[in-house]
Amino acid sequence: MKNILRNPDKSIAAKLIIAIGLLMIILSLIFWYAILQKQEKDVLSIATKYGRSFVNFTKASTRRSMLIFDREETQRVLDTLSTPEGVQGVQIYDHRGNIVFSSKSEKAGNSVDRTSIACTGCHSNSESGELLTETRKLFVHRDEKGKTSLHMVESILNAPECSTAACHAHPESPEILGFVKADLSLAVLDEALLKQGLALTAYVIMFVLAVSIFLGIILYKIVSKPVNELVQGMEKVSGGNLENTVQVRSDDEIGKLARTFNSMIRDLKGARDQRERWTQTLEVEIEKKTDEIQKTHANLMQTEKLASLGRMAAGVAHEINNPLTGVVTFAHLLKKRFPPESTESQDLDIIIEQSERCAKIIKNLLTFARATPSEKGKVSINEVLNRTIFMVQNQAKFHHIKFNPDFADKQFVVVGDGSQFQQIFLNMFINAADAMNGRGNITIRTRGALENEKPYVEIEFTDEGCGIKEEDMPKLFEPFFTTKPVGKGTGLGLSVSHGIVKHLGGHIKVKSTIGKGTSFFVRLPLES
Amino acid sequence: MKKILVVDDEAIVRTSCDRTLTPEGYDVTLTASGKEGIACLEKETFALVLLDLKMPDMDGMEVLSKIKENWPETKVVMVTGYSTVDTAVQALRVGAYNFIEKPFTPDTLLKAVQEVFGPSD
Repeated sequence: MKNILRNPDKSIAAKLIIAIGLLMIILSLIFWYAILQKQEKDVLSIATKYGRSFVNFTKASTRRSMLIFDREETQRVLDTLSTPEGVQGVQIYDHRGNIVFSSKSEKAGNSVDRTSIACTGCHSNSESGELLTETRKLFVHRDEKGKTSLHMVESILNAPECSTAACHAHPESPEILGFVKADLSLAVLDEALLKQGLALTAYVIMFVLAVSIFLGIILYKIVSKPVNELVQGMEKVSGGNLENTVQVRSDDEIGKLARTFNSMIRDLKGARDQRERWTQTLEVEIEKKTDEIQKTHANLMQTEKLASLGRMAAGVAHEINNPLTGVVTFAHLLKKRFPPESTESQDLDIIIEQSERCAKIIKNLLTFARATPSEKGKVSINEVLNRTIFMVQNQAKFHHIKFNPDFADKQFVVVGDGSQFQQIFLNMFINAADAMNGRGNITIRTRGALENEKPYVEIEFTDEGCGIKEEDMPKLFEPFFTTKPVGKGTGLGLSVSHGIVKHLGGHIKVKSTIGKGTSFFVRLPLES
Repeated sequence: MKKILVVDDEAIVRTSCDRTLTPEGYDVTLTASGKEGIACLEKETFALVLLDLKMPDMDGMEVLSKIKENWPETKVVMVTGYSTVDTAVQALRVGAYNFIEKPFTPDTLLKAVQEVFGPSD
């Protein structure tokens, strides 16, 4: 309601109220004016009627005294007649316009002004004797104070007794002997009219107000309130609040609008809820993927870091092999010159031993350096396995190890770098050989597998070694983690293998029994 | 005489081979590059070439191919660092008799040589 009052140009109800109100006011004003005019006319008509009666009564009252020419009696009658309130004066004129009698005695004997109603009441001008209409015989005058007076004239016609009367005997010929003029005050009627007019105005104002208020209330209830509720509801919805509904108050168009609006909000809310659910699922999914990407990235970073470290180290390490050959050779040659028990021989043994240790460190560093990514292509897993087995069989470390390849008939083709796969398999063999102290069987199996409906190849490396302790399991793929004696392993082998396999979309799993052996399962995605 | 040609750009490796094999009765010729090695092979016959894989001017694999092409009877043992083990496997396929890894001990070297000639008397 406040809004309507504050911003009428923004409210349909206010506009309607103003329009109807204005129409009401205009109609009422016309009505009011017409009634006032009619009243005034009616009052004047009655006043005229009574005025004429008064004049006729004056004529009748003075007839007798006039016939007997009793001037005093006539004057007395006039004085008496002018006594009541409202009678301003009564005069009797002769036919020339001279005042013969007057209630105000000082006027007697004066001639009347030619423009006075006494003349103009009957004559168009003083020269012609033409008689005018009845209406001209009265004249309403309003003075400066707004007081109205009615002036009336009535002719005194010649009668036979006037000419036959003994007293002054008028001649027979003139039709009119004179006239009576009465000045009557209409102040009482003015007052009555004013009161009536005021009352009417008050009634009209009250009527307009009542109709306006009634219309206002009706419009507010039927139009403004429900429309405002709808507007507020829409504002809330546009502000994002979909919890509110609009109250349906009627079955009319606005009610229908509210119902449609509510149904729209329900639909919107449903859509929003669904969208939120999707967003939530998406967020969880994104979080999961981001986490995976971060882990992969971290792995890659680690692998890359280690790889570049390895590349750098490898450059140096490779060159060290040559002088180291010299050191080893000459230490051996020198050793031959001393008896085995001599201090010199024992010292040289230390040189040889430490040189060999250097050689192993270098070898591991070079192994690690080989993990750097290179060209990718289609690689046959069986072929790489066979090649690696062939290569290691000729090495002293594997002289007492039996390889048992148990490959599936299927040729598994993987996309990647062949030398990287060889690197992985070599690592598996070296670890197996170390775990078995250089003696025992290594079984290599290949088989197809399905994971998330995608084809994989699984390569199993099983040794008969010492097994891996439960507490070491989680650290197995960490860089620089090793269970081998100092100088024997760098702890990079499995870490690098794991990095390569992960990078290719595969994984490595381990099963181990202490004292019985270990199985590594390397899974790589097959070329699709 | 069991003639051995050593081809290695590293002087200390050459000397090591010489000092290990000469006392054992082998006739050892030392060369510092693949080109020199080929030149030697053209002049005289060697039973065995100890060939380094990684050399600056002419790669060991190239030299191996030439030897196998021109002197198929001559046996070649590749001397390699671990990083080139792949190449060593390839070398075996091309026709190398064996390979040894640097750094080698006199025993390893002798064993590899003896595998070619049989144990020395």
